Amino acid sequence: MTWLKLVEGYMPMQMISELGLSILVFVLVNWALHRSGMGIPKFWAGVGVFVFIQLYLKYRIYPPIPFSVRAIYGTVSACGIFMWVSGSEKEWQEFKRPILNVMDGITNFHQSVRTAMLVVIPLALGGFAYSSFLPSFEEPIELRTVHPAPPATTKVHGKTFVLQVVENPYRVNADGDYDQGYTDARIVEQAMGRLMKDVNDPNYNPWDPNADGYIKYVREGGEIFFQNCHFCHGDNLNGRGLWAYAFNPIPANFTDAGTIAQLQETFVFWRVSKGGIGLPGEGFPWASVMPPWEQHLTVDEIWKVVMFEYWHTGYYPRTWD
Amino acid sequence: MGRLMSRQTRKNILAVSGLFAMGAMLVLPILTALPALAAGGASATGGPPPDVVMAQEAEGEGEAEPVEVGRDVYYKTEGPVVGMPAPKTEDTEAFYPRYNFESRVLLWVANQQHLYYGSFVLAVPIFCMCIEFAGLITKDKAMAKKYDQLAYDFIKISLTAYSLTAILGGILIFTFLTLYPAFFGYLSSIFRPVMHIYALMFVAESGTLYIYYYGWDKMKEGMLKWLHASMSVVLNVIGTVLMFLANSWIGFMMSPAGVDEQGRYLGNIWHVIHTALWNPLNVHRILGNMAFGGGVVAAYAAYRFLSAKNDEERAHYDWMGYIAMALGVAFLIPLPFAGYWLMREVYAYRQQMGITLMGGLLAWLFIIQATMIGILFLTTNYYLWQALGRMTGGERFQRYIKYFVFILVVGLLVFITPHTIVMTPAELKAMGGQQHPVLGNYGVMSAKNGGINAIIMTTIASFIWYQRGNRVPAVKWAKFGNIFLITFFVVAHLNNIWVACYGYFIPANVRIGLSIPQVAGTLSCLFIGSALNLAMLRQSRELGPIRWGQIAPRSQYALIMLATAFTWMMGLMGYIRSSVRLFWHVNEIMRDNSPWAYTHTIGFGANVISFNVLFFWITILFVFWLGALGAKKAPVPAMQPVPGGAPQPATSHY
Repeated sequence: MTWLKLVEGYMPMQMISELGLSILVFVLVNWALHRSGMGIPKFWAGVGVFVFIQLYLKYRIYPPIPFSVRAIYGTVSACGIFMWVSGSEKEWQEFKRPILNVMDGITNFHQSVRTAMLVVIPLALGGFAYSSFLPSFEEPIELRTVHPAPPATTKVHGKTFVLQVVENPYRVNADGDYDQGYTDARIVEQAMGRLMKDVNDPNYNPWDPNADGYIKYVREGGEIFFQNCHFCHGDNLNGRGLWAYAFNPIPANFTDAGTIAQLQETFVFWRVSKGGIGLPGEGFPWASVMPPWEQHLTVDEIWKVVMFEYWHTGYYPRTWD
Repeated sequence: MGRLMSRQTRKNILAVSGLFAMGAMLVLPILTALPALAAGGASATGGPPPDVVMAQEAEGEGEAEPVEVGRDVYYKTEGPVVGMPAPKTEDTEAFYPRYNFESRVLLWVANQQHLYYGSFVLAVPIFCMCIEFAGLITKDKAMAKKYDQLAYDFIKISLTAYSLTAILGGILIFTFLTLYPAFFGYLSSIFRPVMHIYALMFVAESGTLYIYYYGWDKMKEGMLKWLHASMSVVLNVIGTVLMFLANSWIGFMMSPAGVDEQGRYLGNIWHVIHTALWNPLNVHRILGNMAFGGGVVAAYAAYRFLSAKNDEERAHYDWMGYIAMALGVAFLIPLPFAGYWLMREVYAYRQQMGITLMGGLLAWLFIIQATMIGILFLTTNYYLWQALGRMTGGERFQRYIKYFVFILVVGLLVFITPHTIVMTPAELKAMGGQQHPVLGNYGVMSAKNGGINAIIMTTIASFIWYQRGNRVPAVKWAKFGNIFLITFFVVAHLNNIWVACYGYFIPANVRIGLSIPQVAGTLSCLFIGSALNLAMLRQSRELGPIRWGQIAPRSQYALIMLATAFTWMMGLMGYIRSSVRLFWHVNEIMRDNSPWAYTHTIGFGANVISFNVLFFWITILFVFWLGALGAKKAPVPAMQPVPGGAPQPATSHY
């Protein structure tokens, strides 16, 4: 459906709104038809809504929704439709009528449908059983743990870091003290080129090439990123780098609300330091080709590049307070 | 008459003395639980016993053996080492004796069955207490009799279950002793005084329960009835303390305290009990037990309704099912908030434990849990909509069911959308990354909070519908009240949606704080909405009677489904809570070196949980059957219809 685009940034609400509006239209049409004595029978209304939802999920949403999620959505929507059609005794009787008519075979038509069902249902079940036993050459489904739990401590370049309490030494205010509030206020929204928050300083220029302190470290982190990371994670940190599609899965998209925005900075520090090879047991099947960056970068460089990733995406690391 | 009076007075004196004796029995274990006594005579601050101190003083400072001091792994305080280090086990028969079967699964089944029955017998007396008091304070004599009968029905089911709980507790201990002797030896060396107190409390609980049950008919009038009802309070206090003590063991296994890094006990029993997760576990378990107990009793009532031979029985069990369901759901509504608190404390205790639970290895089990929560709420709504059908006037609400269904389904879809999607590599490639650009946003907490709050608010609205089923408010300000009520719910929903969306534009730590306005909106709907509705219904016009017993049978299947979902979810959450320790018997203190110290696959875990659920329901059916057997032998007069009226256990729901 190219004429009605899913607008980036609003897609989740757009999907719910579209479904809601469609259902509302169905209700209004059905109400109008009822008023004119041509209401849609409950059975067919239920079947229609179910089919519509499945088609919507399969053909409207792009990129395609994996089958496992569509199966969950299909089951829940079927339960919802059952609750609706059997909400009152009158509606339930109305819904059941065509099914009972077919089972009782009250007319020749119903008898033919019943006969057809007696043939079609066993055949369909047999076909399903047959196809499920056919050998498949598809790769098996992987239930990958994207964010495995980090260890309590990690050792990088001979120094032990307690991940629960360690702080990024470059996340500092003008006085050189650790200050997440100060640095959060100085994150720039990339698309708009403006600060995310009011810093109450008319002379503050986040683009000043001679700036020192926090913004200087971010700039240095950016240099490290574009020398080492952007080939996979992309210029916009969206996981679409030059080499991204050589890997499966493609590299992490930092602009997604489900990646670094969900994590503490120390978690990202650990993952960058140890790479795919350092994933713990629960990170099975360890589907990550990220190198252990501790072999290529210093501890300071890792902290700076992590800080740049947050600054560039406009996200703040997760904290406790 | 005088003789009768004196007999009555004697009874009263006897009852009061009995109650005091029970109170004393209750206080005794608490006294023995005081740190000074529990530490075997050591001072509360953890020093050596007074006789040792005196001996040391007599010998002089220079000759005294230095007392080794350890540092508490959680409280960071120092205390004398009075226990042995946690055993370092190996994968041998000495540490892990075994059959040709996985010992962990045997223990899992024994534990889960004991917990199911334990929860049930702790929850049901609380219901009994509420219902018995409701019968005592009501002025309607017929209703008082019916409440009393209902409370008696409840406790009758609980009594057989109580014996089974004790038997299963014995099986559990034997399983521990025979299959995990090293671990159980270590645990009992630390919790020695607590375990003894636990046993004493169990004796007190048994005694109180039997007096409470068998004294029902003897103590049914006047002062004695009040004493009988007070006994239910004592019974529940003992039951709750029992549960708290048992929780301290699992709290210690998850978040140990009161021991040093080697696991050596430092003499302060309160530190060992009061671990980081003890209180959240206590609150969560009380609410969970209540919801579970309500579900099981509702299923019992549904079973009796469906097998009823006449309208009278159907009416009684329809009413019983409704009351049990309402009590269960009343505790289900705050349960997610208690769970949220528990998870927050888990994150605060150990970040990696929180991530393993919610974002890592066990995250998919949480999606299954979300699905079960959704089923519970959807089933509750469905039951209430069906129940509208037995009320004259209820049909005016049924036409709006489809809108409620839409909100519930959308809320549930958002709530159960996984963050880590199961997909084939081909699907992964087609999607272009691990996160779906549309659905990925439903996978994070901000959206999920919105989803569950929408579901809870809709359930509250369904309850309000139900209360109004056969009534129309007749207060002067009814119109204003209705407008206010509708506006209140609409604004609460809009606030919920807005906050859920806004959460994506702010830092994660601020986002956690956004759950407060969401929860506040939901709780406001619960308390203000319900209170306003009740105020409006105080003067109301009745459109017709409630036709108890004339409810669609599918509503009863909904009650059975509700109970099954509770049971399954409880098994699942117990598995998750236990699995989060990964390869530790006691987190970071005592390592599990048995061959089964790995996390099962989701499929295997789900199968064992399903087996546990099935086993519980088969055995509880036996308990139900026994209950029905007793009823046949000794029909209770209150089962008879109210003279001069059709069977109507209650005329209102509030």
